[in-house]
Amino acid sequence: MAFSAGIVLLGIGLVAIAIRRDLVIKLLALGLANAGSILCLVAIGDRPEARVPICAVCRDAVYADPLPQALVLSAIVINFAILALALVFVMRLVEHYHSTDSRRIEGLVQRDLREGGRS
Amino acid sequence: MSRGSRLFHLLVIVSTGCVVLLVLLAFHSETPETAPYGTYVDRSVEETGATNRVAGVYLNYRLYDSLLEVLVFFVAVLGVRHYLGTRERAEIPTLAESEVVRTSAALLFPLALLLGVYLATLGQISPGGGFGAGAVAASGVLLASIALGIDAIERRLRRTTIERIERGALLVFLLLTLLPLPLGRPAMSDLLPKGSPGAVLSGGAIPLYNTLIALKVLAGSWLILRSFVRHRGEI
Amino acid sequence: MIARYALLALLPIVAVAALSQRRRLAAIIGMGLFSFLLAVVYLLLHAPDVALTEATIGAALITAIYVLAIRRTGRLAVVADEAPGLLAREGDRIVGLEYEILDRFARHLGLDLSVQIVPHRDVAESVRCGEADIGGGGLVPSGGEGALATRQHLETALFTIGGRGTEAGAESPTVRYDGCFADLDPQALYTGETGVTLDLARFLAVRRSETPDESVLRHPHRLGYAFLVSGRRRALHSELDAYLEGLRDSGELDRLIRRFLA
Repeated sequence: MAFSAGIVLLGIGLVAIAIRRDLVIKLLALGLANAGSILCLVAIGDRPEARVPICAVCRDAVYADPLPQALVLSAIVINFAILALALVFVMRLVEHYHSTDSRRIEGLVQRDLREGGRS
Repeated sequence: MSRGSRLFHLLVIVSTGCVVLLVLLAFHSETPETAPYGTYVDRSVEETGATNRVAGVYLNYRLYDSLLEVLVFFVAVLGVRHYLGTRERAEIPTLAESEVVRTSAALLFPLALLLGVYLATLGQISPGGGFGAGAVAASGVLLASIALGIDAIERRLRRTTIERIERGALLVFLLLTLLPLPLGRPAMSDLLPKGSPGAVLSGGAIPLYNTLIALKVLAGSWLILRSFVRHRGEI
Repeated sequence: MIARYALLALLPIVAVAALSQRRRLAAIIGMGLFSFLLAVVYLLLHAPDVALTEATIGAALITAIYVLAIRRTGRLAVVADEAPGLLAREGDRIVGLEYEILDRFARHLGLDLSVQIVPHRDVAESVRCGEADIGGGGLVPSGGEGALATRQHLETALFTIGGRGTEAGAESPTVRYDGCFADLDPQALYTGETGVTLDLARFLAVRRSETPDESVLRHPHRLGYAFLVSGRRRALHSELDAYLEGLRDSGELDRLIRRFLA
């Protein structure tokens, strides 16, 4: 069930990246797609009647899988740093072209490339 | 919105919806479940000495994964500082925060740091771990800087000190994990006593690695946040 | 059990609601809320480490850097064409009546002033699409949506140089000058085929004493210089209006006019 929610979130994130024109919203949607995939990973480690994989006294109980959780733990923090870097590039782009509209920026970049080739 | 882009939006939504539905239908009868590796669940506590099996995975069985993740983090911090560095201001106009914010920030900031220390050092017997600890501490410092002014924070917590902490923690981490390799041994996991599971001093070198990672993440995150606070924006 | 399903169903709803917001700040806060819900879901999936990390990173740090990124840190963006006496480059600095007014206004608001010199035709366009907050530099703004004109702070008149003097019957001539002031060549103006309509400040700068006045046509309409404010910054517009009003009432405006346009 949570796995399905993760897939749906991934789909929503991808659609939002394609549809919204604002660069900052595109980044937010990318973060959402990230969160969706991470949810999928954690969800496949869960099982009915599982316990949190932190327990000493309970020996033969059914545990949730600690491996996806471990993979995902560092991934979340690293995603933060990568997102910050992406945001820095977006900020530089906006400062150069004075607009956050992706389509407008695309047109300006094309114009710059054309004029750069001419001059 | 032009007809062309409306058509495009429709196409995107429909095609992604189809793919999502297909995947959901494929897993409809059996939601995927992993069979937890025997080692990670059954023998983790004996071998690593840590009750937290997740910490046992990413700081013992998969230590090198964590090392590379930390390296990626380091590079990302470098990138953020490099590309934002040229736009710093010397002094930021002080934000006129209310008394409530200032008082609560003064209360919460040490609590956040304490929580970070707790999560990092007891990561082997309770949920937490180095990554979460570093994040919590960094958010505490951010709260303090937003409420009390970044100059006040930077007077106590200089940028050069933070840089040294970051690089020092990374260097020690690298040495501990990479030096044993030429000698033919894996990264030593029993620098500290393995202890009895559930005790504070348990888990071998796991608390050590947790602390190093927490310091690295705290320093790196604070450097990122600091660059953002000082940046002269236009968005 | 029901709570778990309700929470899982809430996640896509909150996500869609957050990402379909018009304002960026609303979207960011929505995604912060989403991260928080996600952290609770991780708890239900028996992953407390992940839940703690996600709550801190997603709801606190990521929201913080987005908000820090989109705040407009204290900048007043002005686009202008050069107009002698009003806004002109002098070596490294910019001096002039309008620049002084804008500088004081920016300091009054606690913002930094940043002036960009652009050709005359681009000023209105930039302000209209929100790239700059204020447009100035000897503007005689004609109406248009997307930009609001402040009250006039200085009277002016229009002069057409050259051409065949057929502008006399025009109601209110559209200002035919749309280039950079720095590129205006006084000689070419007077001998040019088509007339160029200039406002008073620029006309005075390019006027030559020895040319006959028949080639210059002065339009009888009384116009005034004003600033153009982006339509998205209505509050800024009212503030600027109020500030100009204050300057006028205290006599400071007259003093500045005398100082710069003696």
